[in-house]
Amino acid sequence: MSKRRKRLILAFGIVGIAAVALALTLTALKSTVAYFYTPSDLRELSSPPAGLIRLGGLVAPGSVKFGDDESAAVNFIIRDETAETPVSYEGILPDLFREGQGVVVQGRLQHGRLIASEVLAKHDENYMPKEVADALKEQGRWKEGQSL
Amino acid sequence: MAFDLANPQRFEKLAARLVPLLTIASGVTALFGLYMALFDSPADYQQGDSVRIMYVHVPAAWMALLCYSTMAIASAIGFIFKHPLADVAAKSAAPIGAAFTFLALVTGSLWGKPMWGTWWAWDARLTSVLILFFLYIGYIALWNAIDDKIRAARLAAIVCLVGFINIPIIKFSVDWWNSLHQPASVLRAGGPTIHGSMLTPLILMGAAYALGFAALLLVSMRGELAERRIARLEQTARAPSRATVA
Amino acid sequence: MLAIFERDIALAFRAGGGAINSVVFLALTVLIFALAVGPDRARLAASAAPILWTAATLAAMLSFDSIFQADFEDGSLDVLAEATESLGFVAVSKAAAHWVSALLPLILATPPLAVLLGLPAAAYFPLVISLAVATPALSLLGVLASALALSLRRASILMTILTAPLLTPAVIFGVAAANAGAENSPLFGPLLMLLAAFTLLFLIAMPLAAGAALRFNID
Repeated sequence: MSKRRKRLILAFGIVGIAAVALALTLTALKSTVAYFYTPSDLRELSSPPAGLIRLGGLVAPGSVKFGDDESAAVNFIIRDETAETPVSYEGILPDLFREGQGVVVQGRLQHGRLIASEVLAKHDENYMPKEVADALKEQGRWKEGQSL
Repeated sequence: MAFDLANPQRFEKLAARLVPLLTIASGVTALFGLYMALFDSPADYQQGDSVRIMYVHVPAAWMALLCYSTMAIASAIGFIFKHPLADVAAKSAAPIGAAFTFLALVTGSLWGKPMWGTWWAWDARLTSVLILFFLYIGYIALWNAIDDKIRAARLAAIVCLVGFINIPIIKFSVDWWNSLHQPASVLRAGGPTIHGSMLTPLILMGAAYALGFAALLLVSMRGELAERRIARLEQTARAPSRATVA
Repeated sequence: MLAIFERDIALAFRAGGGAINSVVFLALTVLIFALAVGPDRARLAASAAPILWTAATLAAMLSFDSIFQADFEDGSLDVLAEATESLGFVAVSKAAAHWVSALLPLILATPPLAVLLGLPAAAYFPLVISLAVATPALSLLGVLASALALSLRRASILMTILTAPLLTPAVIFGVAAANAGAENSPLFGPLLMLLAAFTLLFLIAMPLAAGAALRFNID
């Protein structure tokens, strides 16, 4: 086999392997190998995951209930487009935590409710002055927690 | 022009002229940028004043990536065209890039605590930037471990190019994976989602950092070239009978 | 290429020591981790997959040194360099031989050690599979590290510094896959696919880089 032929085959081989690797990666990423589960992900699982997991989504407006005298826990609901998961948390919530905000909570599932050991509030990619946000809200063009 | 630079004397002259210019430009832009960042720009609608760390953190992250890309291009040029200044450029850029990466990590951590509630999280972007930092360290270590400059240059170039895969991972990690770090606000399809009054100081700081990087790089390269010249002079001084070899 | 592979395997078996050392190191590392975690059985079982993965990675990194060292010292590398134009193929054969002689014993040694850690039954298969898919990438990386290190005087620490960053995706996804498989999560398949893609990527990049490094170090 001439050298040129060998080189060509090698080149094709490399491209072929690269293509397979790319295909594998894209297929895998579509199944969202995520930093966290979303409530929809949890719903689709055959059995609820044991151990520490992370759950991400938006804090459902109106769902935040601070603890009464019996328990210091704050309860709220995390939702995404199609599903919801209730969460319980004992501790101090970060500054950015508010209704409609994106959050990631870490904890264990217990009977469908996530007992959170950590709550991390996520900041979206929008940066703007308060006046602009207020103006947008007045105009009705504002959706809390939604990117523009 | 590039071939003129192959002559170290020409490079020295060019660098001597450029460094003061770049330093002044960087300083002036930084002054304007910082003024706008700290006083003239508004607080964010969600984060309040703690958003102002962004003006230090984001340009540092940009530089970390830009610097590695510069190293990779210089490494490739040195590898393919054997241009001597390319190797020097790659070697000189590394410590600067490592410093920017470290700055980005630290300022990011300081920003993350009030904003997210944690000093650190093992999400895709933070992890891959940390890996970038270690790549820089490994690259610098490799250069220091090999005596033969040319061999060191080639081997370090290989390491730099292999590690380049990390750069797109850093950039796109916030898009591909659900991560804690927010998605891109400036370089994204659909245009920036950051308000003009905040985008301007950010761009100014980015420019200041970039000009500063260029100045530092040239200074560092001059230092490296001077070191090599001293080494060569020492060699010929030690063996005067073989002076013609130089 | 095949010849190199067979020769290396034969050498490895005759020497014997390398693989046994790696396995012993693996066992000791697992022991140390187990002692550090403490007597809490639940905690130990939960940490079993990460511990085994870490120990395997460390043991693998220790074995990188020897991949090209012997050949370099006795001159057979120079012979190879003249005989063949593409040292990349040499690199691939070396990686394959390394995997069979150094990493495969580690993978086989993992289940018995997992018993010591109390790994739950469902987790064994995912753990072994994740190791099996990811460890070829380690061998390939080791070939590059060893090729680079031929220039260095005292290679070990520097090679660890250099190779560790590039190993991290394998460790991250490997442990995630092992855990996902253990709890029957739908992420198991995708994670294995990512591991496989990672290994394939290394299959392309590492021999190229290692071949170039070898050229520079031999001349």
